[in-house]
Amino acid sequence: MSQKIGVLRFPGTNCDRDVFEAVEGAVPSTGKKPEWLWHADRFDAKAYSALYLPGGFSYGDYLRSGALAARSPAMQSVREAAERGVPVLGICNGFQILCEAGLLPGALVKNAGLRFVDDWVDLKLANANPTFARAAAEGSAAKLPVAHGDGRFVIAEDGLKRLQDNGQVWWTYEQSPNGSVADIAGVMNEKKNVAALMPHPERALYAWMGGTDGSGFFDV
Amino acid sequence: MDRGSSMSKATQAGEGRGGLSAQEFQAKLKTYRLNESEYGLICDLLGRDPKGIEWALFSALWSEHCSYKSSKVHLKGLFNTSKRVLQSFGENAGVVDLGEGERVAFKIESHNHPSYIEPYQGAATGVGGILRDIFTMGARPIALADYLCFGRPTAPRMTQIVDGVVRGIGGYGNSVGVPTITGQTEFHESYDGNVLVNAMAVGLFRKDDKVFLSKAKGVGNWVVYVGAKTGRDGVHGASMASESFGADSAAKRPTIQIGDPFFEKLLIESCLEVMKQDLVVAIQDMGAAGLTSSSFEMASKGGVGFKLHLDQVPLRDSSMTPEDILLSESQERMLLVCEPGQFKALSEVFHRWNLDAVKIGEVTEKKTVELHWHGELLTEIDPDLLVENAPQYKRPYKQLGPQNRVSSRQAWVDGLKSAQGAKKIDGLLTSLLRDVRGTSRKFIYRQYDCRVGAATARGTSDSVGVVRLKDSNRALGVVLGCRPHVMRLDPRVGGLDAVAYPAFELALKGFEALAVTDCLNFGNPEKENVMSEFVASLDGMNSICAALEAPIISGNVSFYNETMGKNITSTPSTGLVGLRESLDHLPESFFTEEGQAIYVLKQPGFVSGGYAQEIATGTQNAIGELDGRVVGDFIRGARQLSKAPQVRATRAIGKFGLAYALSRMCLEGVGAVIDHEGLKLIRTDVDQAALFEEHFYEAIFVVDGKDTTAFEDYFTAVRQVAPIAELHRIGRTGGTSLVIGSLLESSNKDLKTAYTSGWGENFESLA
Repeated sequence: MSQKIGVLRFPGTNCDRDVFEAVEGAVPSTGKKPEWLWHADRFDAKAYSALYLPGGFSYGDYLRSGALAARSPAMQSVREAAERGVPVLGICNGFQILCEAGLLPGALVKNAGLRFVDDWVDLKLANANPTFARAAAEGSAAKLPVAHGDGRFVIAEDGLKRLQDNGQVWWTYEQSPNGSVADIAGVMNEKKNVAALMPHPERALYAWMGGTDGSGFFDV
Repeated sequence: MDRGSSMSKATQAGEGRGGLSAQEFQAKLKTYRLNESEYGLICDLLGRDPKGIEWALFSALWSEHCSYKSSKVHLKGLFNTSKRVLQSFGENAGVVDLGEGERVAFKIESHNHPSYIEPYQGAATGVGGILRDIFTMGARPIALADYLCFGRPTAPRMTQIVDGVVRGIGGYGNSVGVPTITGQTEFHESYDGNVLVNAMAVGLFRKDDKVFLSKAKGVGNWVVYVGAKTGRDGVHGASMASESFGADSAAKRPTIQIGDPFFEKLLIESCLEVMKQDLVVAIQDMGAAGLTSSSFEMASKGGVGFKLHLDQVPLRDSSMTPEDILLSESQERMLLVCEPGQFKALSEVFHRWNLDAVKIGEVTEKKTVELHWHGELLTEIDPDLLVENAPQYKRPYKQLGPQNRVSSRQAWVDGLKSAQGAKKIDGLLTSLLRDVRGTSRKFIYRQYDCRVGAATARGTSDSVGVVRLKDSNRALGVVLGCRPHVMRLDPRVGGLDAVAYPAFELALKGFEALAVTDCLNFGNPEKENVMSEFVASLDGMNSICAALEAPIISGNVSFYNETMGKNITSTPSTGLVGLRESLDHLPESFFTEEGQAIYVLKQPGFVSGGYAQEIATGTQNAIGELDGRVVGDFIRGARQLSKAPQVRATRAIGKFGLAYALSRMCLEGVGAVIDHEGLKLIRTDVDQAALFEEHFYEAIFVVDGKDTTAFEDYFTAVRQVAPIAELHRIGRTGGTSLVIGSLLESSNKDLKTAYTSGWGENFESLA
């Protein structure tokens, strides 16, 4: 198995170095080193054991959040990797990009309050993911920071039913900061190798950050 | 040059000049915001009348905003150096050495006038501009902070202005990915028609990062334009910001710049990359007065000339004239000098980030800036004439003595009593917690990303913003200062306080204040009282900076904060950066555990009726005097005491005095009981006013209840540093309410309700 982890970088991505360092910080336990993947270049889908799509404002979030990044060359390789079963984690803008790319169901629209929200949120694990934060037990709690303007998860009723029936709802908010359908904070695809959430685990790794619940997301 | 004759001509008012009729001449002076004596000086320097484009050049670079013509004589006396200072005034930002290879650049800057005219874009471009000042030096921006002064919530447009400014700051800062880690927000009627938006940015140089300067050098090197295309936005912005507002401020909207944080993000990454590869000789952002100031300043500082082809400047609108191009304040643009052989590598980096790098000129030996336009030489002019030779005014002022002093505290004891009327004292406390001047600012801070960068240890919910220095595992503290109500009490005390209070806040968390940046927001400098307050507050500021050895290393001056003849409260805002050896045992700011001991650390000697007196009676009084050196020692002592291992939480007792500070500490759920005997130790008269008056300076220390003897022993050593300091045990933590002797009892729940609901009561549509 590959010993490399790919971290995607789009113009406007701004949590790229934070995620890169979080993956680096986990090297002692995973032995897997991070490597940059540039938006304009295709990459070898077989070469990485996991891929991270960090948060930010790719292409300024112009048009729609994540819409332009979803159509970049690097995302074609992400699609191939996802089809091969490579674990992919999207955080914040990464979640938006994965939805825009059709790799995850639903969409993320403007927060219900129409304002950007920066806060700590309490989350509940609805269904475990085999790779990311896999040590957490279903029903367990986590506290992570959010910082987003377009974080309200929306999906049609039948789509929501499918998500729930298939166990694709990953995390839910105890108290939604954005008005998401069914308080959804994170979802997975059917195979569960593509997962994403709006909160930022890379900002909750050490006690001095205010919490440590994010570390399991990088221990892959 | 015939100095005499040209001077005499200029002083003959009412006469035409430079081939213009008297009427045309006066109209032109008005358009370019120059006066007749300045025109005379220009003629002296040139040895002839200015022609064509030169009018616009002098108008921009001799504006108050660019030339500091009313303040320069006073700024020269500022305490601005220490062994840590690597770069002070004269560059885009000041740079301080942190040791261990790390250095920080930081600066605060105003964007007041644009933010009043067009709140969202005004505030957003304020953030963008201050960020460019930082990364243009090669530092990666790691923190933002905003100092905001708004008018009364009921003032015309104020809801819209508050909303727009906050959205603008968030919209820009969040997108570029720099955390906003602290801030200060004030409300007062003097800002009804002229709000203040001051943005501060801090950037970090890691061990191998070089500091880049704006000094151009190397004859034959290329002058390269990088970033967004030039448009018509912001033309004449610098001179707009140098004028008072009249009734027509809305008509000035076209002088406002439009920001694009996405472009800025690309600029940050690409500029830092070309600097890392050492492809840059000199660099400066295009800020106020755009291409004009950047090019003339770079040439002047380097003692070289530039040959510039204005027709090569990338334009958004092909019909723009050379004057538009020179004065445009379009955002997200940089000017740099590189060696011709490096241009290819440099432009490849910019192209990778989807940005253009265009050669627009060359560095020349002859010290003149030549401006070319499609083969025509528009002017050739010595850059020093514009950059160094602007007039310097010694505006009239008076030396101010102590203001609003009284001999007894009866002035505010009576005042507060009458304001309360039938209201009980807990009523006064909750009314202050609900008042827009005392209530929670969470509505604002929730809209700013305070953790991007994954280095934030303390954010906007705390008194000091703290980021971790990744390479050395140390901590950097950032805090803003200037309490306008203290400026209204006494401008010298207010200036001193603008540095002392934030330095005290840093010290209470164990940080040593390293240096200061200031943003001097004042009214019309042509008015004697404004200039007198300017001089007095700088004097106060200087005394404490020297005492703390925390020099002022960067900043700006914003005059003409005047609307329809009404001046703002003189507001010299500050930003301080402090260093702490680690993040361990960083004191909290709240009561978090029961059974801990509560102490007050105090410097006796100066007390005022404070903000509560001002709100109640419209006036403020004080007893005593404040000495910079004594305060400096006290702050050093406070820092030492905060490092005592028994300390759990600290908080400065600031506006609204003791009761307000204690209630803020109760917001996390744990309450406190303050004994009557304890109160008597820190207040000569234990009455209701004693809970609201403001003592300069005091702080609450929460100490492990089991270990108070060790803590008191520790204080004995502190007395060596600060002989004047007093420490008194006044109570303990516990319970679910705040009890202050027999004077006050209020449940934490009621305090929290008041503190969190006040915002919505003042700004219904912003809740």
